[in-house]
Amino acid sequence: MIIAARRLTKEFEIKANSAFGKPLRLRAVDSVDIQVGEGQIVGVVGESGSGKSTLGRTLLGLLSPSAGTVLFDIPDDVLREYDGFRRDGDAKGAASIEMEYSIFKKKGEKLKKIRSGMNMVFQDPYSSLDPRMNVMSIITEPLLAMNYMKPDKAVDRCMELLEEVGLPRDFAYRYPHELSGGQKQRVALARGMATLPKFLVLDEPTSALDVSVQAQILSLLRKIREKYHIGMVIITHNIAVISYMADQVNVMYAGKIVESGPKEDVILNPVHPYTIALISAVPGKMVKPNRIILKGDTPNLINPPQGCVFHPRCPMAFGICGWTADEIATDLKYLVNDKFAGSFNDKAVVSTGAGGSLVINNASAGDEGVLERIINEEKGNMKSLTAIEGLERHGTNIELKIKGYRVPKMYNHDGRKVSCLLYAGDDNKA
Amino acid sequence: MEYTLNVSNLKEQFYTRRGIYKALNGVDILLRKGEILGIAGESGCGKTTLGLTIIGLLPRNAVVTDGEILLDGKDLIATLREFASKEANNPNLRHSENIMKKLNKQLINVRGSRISMVFQDPMTSLNPVLRIGYQIAETLMVHQPEVLAKRRLARSKVKDDDLREALKLLENGADEQSIKAFAETRQLEGIEEQLLNIWRRNDLGIARKEKMILSLRSERLGGFDMAVLQRVVSQGRIDGWMRIPGLNRMSKAVLIKEGNTKAVELLSSLEIPNPEEVVKMYPHELSGGMRQRIIIAIALANNPELVIMDEPTSALDVTVQAQILDLLKHLKQRFNTSFILISHDLSVLAEVCDRIGIMYAGRIVEVATVDAIFNKPLHPYTTMLISAVPTIKGGEIQGIGGAVPDMRFPPSGCMFHPRCPYVMDKCRENNPQMKYVEDEHLVACYLYEGQKGEQN
Ligand SMILES: Nc1ncnc2c1ncn2[C@@H]1O[C@H](COP(=O)(O)OP(=O)(O)OP(=O)(O)O)[C@@H](O)[C@H]1O
Ligand SMILES: Nc1ncnc2c1ncn2[C@@H]1O[C@H](COP(=O)(O)OP(=O)(O)O)[C@@H](O)[C@H]1O
Ligand code: SF4
Ligand SMILES: [Mg+2]
Ligand SMILES: [Mg+2]
Repeated sequence: MIIAARRLTKEFEIKANSAFGKPLRLRAVDSVDIQVGEGQIVGVVGESGSGKSTLGRTLLGLLSPSAGTVLFDIPDDVLREYDGFRRDGDAKGAASIEMEYSIFKKKGEKLKKIRSGMNMVFQDPYSSLDPRMNVMSIITEPLLAMNYMKPDKAVDRCMELLEEVGLPRDFAYRYPHELSGGQKQRVALARGMATLPKFLVLDEPTSALDVSVQAQILSLLRKIREKYHIGMVIITHNIAVISYMADQVNVMYAGKIVESGPKEDVILNPVHPYTIALISAVPGKMVKPNRIILKGDTPNLINPPQGCVFHPRCPMAFGICGWTADEIATDLKYLVNDKFAGSFNDKAVVSTGAGGSLVINNASAGDEGVLERIINEEKGNMKSLTAIEGLERHGTNIELKIKGYRVPKMYNHDGRKVSCLLYAGDDNKA
Repeated sequence: MEYTLNVSNLKEQFYTRRGIYKALNGVDILLRKGEILGIAGESGCGKTTLGLTIIGLLPRNAVVTDGEILLDGKDLIATLREFASKEANNPNLRHSENIMKKLNKQLINVRGSRISMVFQDPMTSLNPVLRIGYQIAETLMVHQPEVLAKRRLARSKVKDDDLREALKLLENGADEQSIKAFAETRQLEGIEEQLLNIWRRNDLGIARKEKMILSLRSERLGGFDMAVLQRVVSQGRIDGWMRIPGLNRMSKAVLIKEGNTKAVELLSSLEIPNPEEVVKMYPHELSGGMRQRIIIAIALANNPELVIMDEPTSALDVTVQAQILDLLKHLKQRFNTSFILISHDLSVLAEVCDRIGIMYAGRIVEVATVDAIFNKPLHPYTTMLISAVPTIKGGEIQGIGGAVPDMRFPPSGCMFHPRCPYVMDKCRENNPQMKYVEDEHLVACYLYEGQKGEQN
């Protein structure tokens, strides 16, 4: 593998609201495993804020991870050995392999060598090119900075690269403001390829471009992959672009990879509830009759939902996905005091207490029977109700017991990996 | 055929130090009542310029050199044409500013109430320091103060009996007409809208709605407020004495308060959860999707005949975009408004539009139903635009060679000719006119000459 990341995690410190408060931690990337083979295109798709760019930067060592590791140019059998050490808890074995391959363990010349073996093309062609430098300086900068070649050689290389990305030679003397969006992105690509890297991260390479220009850039990227066998990670929110370009697809949600596998499986036959919704939301002429419209928004990463981070929006969520007493109480209030108000004591109140208790106060005799029936009727729509394990009466109170929850791991399912408790198999029965 | 909007041969130029940009070069649009027309095209083809011109918001360096914009048959931009014909060759931009002032005055009763626009840049649309409810209330107060006044007066007159009666009607499935008739016979005009809006809420259960309807009466009106509201109803607007400083604030307060109440109803009709809380929030407290819903709510607040939406979902994530597109489909069924939906993304338009117009270099070069645009595109540009977009099903894509022209020096003849694979001699010399090739299918391209009659 050109690149393999294991349990890669990146947290940012955010200023607290009050001057005395502890700084808050925002986990932008959470325990990500990802790998890229030689000449392989791996897609990372997700909505804004899901951690795609942060993952890309951490993979290249531009950000240092809070946990986990990135291994560069590691033979497949060594990687298997490494995964074996990790599984068996052999810290020493794992550390010795990290010593050899981790990009975070390299210094000096070795680090420089690795650096010239990988590169990034950024999201926004309008701000990623220095406006004071001409195209020649932009493209040759990485060559000279890494002492990759002598200045006169670098000029030749620049001309070669311009040709490679389909720009006339005289563009070498233009400045960014004299280029169109597509031309800027070609220059950024030429710069990214200058040192003939083995690994390239492309962050939203076409998001700022018109579709006609996007098509040109995408076919250029394919050509480059064929010719130089560069391993690429393409980051985008555009599922169709991923579908066109990638061999392997990783779907990110709230810092986690929720589904990962071959494009044909993940895009055409998704299994994670989020991927299913994401792909059904792609607009198009063939409006799907079974389109899933997700409720709400992506979660706050400073204080993410417990259990499965997707559970508050998940159309398939069930009892152990992470429901809290507060989440259940919101739905119960609607049922008890509004939708079915006539069926309960007028004074019935839903309340939550410390330690996650959930109680209905001032219940009349027989209310728990009604409640039980209503919960059964409504839990198809209100997934939070599936987490209610039982009712118990204490005087005029009905106490509700909430099921324990689990945090999904990566499970193998139908040719891909998926992080959803629906696929936990035996692990689920525990 | 009755058209809400009829734009013909609209031409517009921007005067800059670096030259004259020919942004619009003869745009034609016919928009029916209740229809959604999509406008698609690459960046810089003039989509936003077109939208802004229809609503009469032009930058000061813009000159409309020709064309008409008719809203329900009335010309909106005669003033602009007049200016251009007087100063055709070297317009004085200072004069242009005066013209804009004049235009603004003319359009004061059109903009925001008969035509409204959702702008491309979502950050500029909401005022960051005002609460959501206030911002909605303000547009309502400016454009329809009498509607707010009637609502409030009706609540001060209504009796418990009336409300119980109304509730019974609603529970028995009464339609809009009969609720209206009910309000009229009891001289409670203004109450019908509130009854229906509460009754239609999906976020509340029946018990809450009953309670809300039965408590519509409880608010009392002071003497001053009563006088203000009665005056607004009889004049149909906020008139003279209410503008007197001092009185101004006080007389508006009652209208703004009522606007807030109506804002809650509007937000709930846009499927915004907890609208009572949302009206108290500031824009930054809301997610991008919520902000966009509120911007749409403001655009729809006064029941305009035409709403122009410029890239309403382009800044949103796909799952949120799907929510908004779903909402637009519902709105179309509920309001009898015509929409122009601008997007660079054809597949977004495919979801909600009845017809799509393809724009290139300041002209609409093809208009047809969504089906025809995708299954039977005629203009070479349309074909290439569609085949440039990757789909999730995979399959090859085709880039369009060349680039959009520099509109200071637009190409001769058909402006697409430098990029067109089928270019003929006459394409370089003459500009093809829009022609009907089939009912509902118009195209401006010499490949289809003589297939059917001229545009009529
Ligand atoms: N005030 C102005 N002065 C000069 N040129 C302008 C002005 N406003 C717009 N233009 C130019 O007019 C052309 C059309 O611009 P417009 O904003 O309508 O394009 P658009 O189709 O909405 O593009 P996008 O998809 O990028 O929003 C562009 O070439 C633009 O640069
Ligand atoms: N330097 C930073 N400091 C603090 N938070 C950051 C920083 N960079 C990114 N984040 C946060 O991390 C999360 C993921 O961001 P990002 O990786 O840019 O997502 P994406 O590229 O998927 O849109 C977001 O909540 C973002 O605000
Ligand atoms: S674990 Fe699976 S089913 Fe449960 S909430 Fe998460 S995605 Fe949905
Ligand atoms: Mg990003
Ligand atoms: Mg625009």
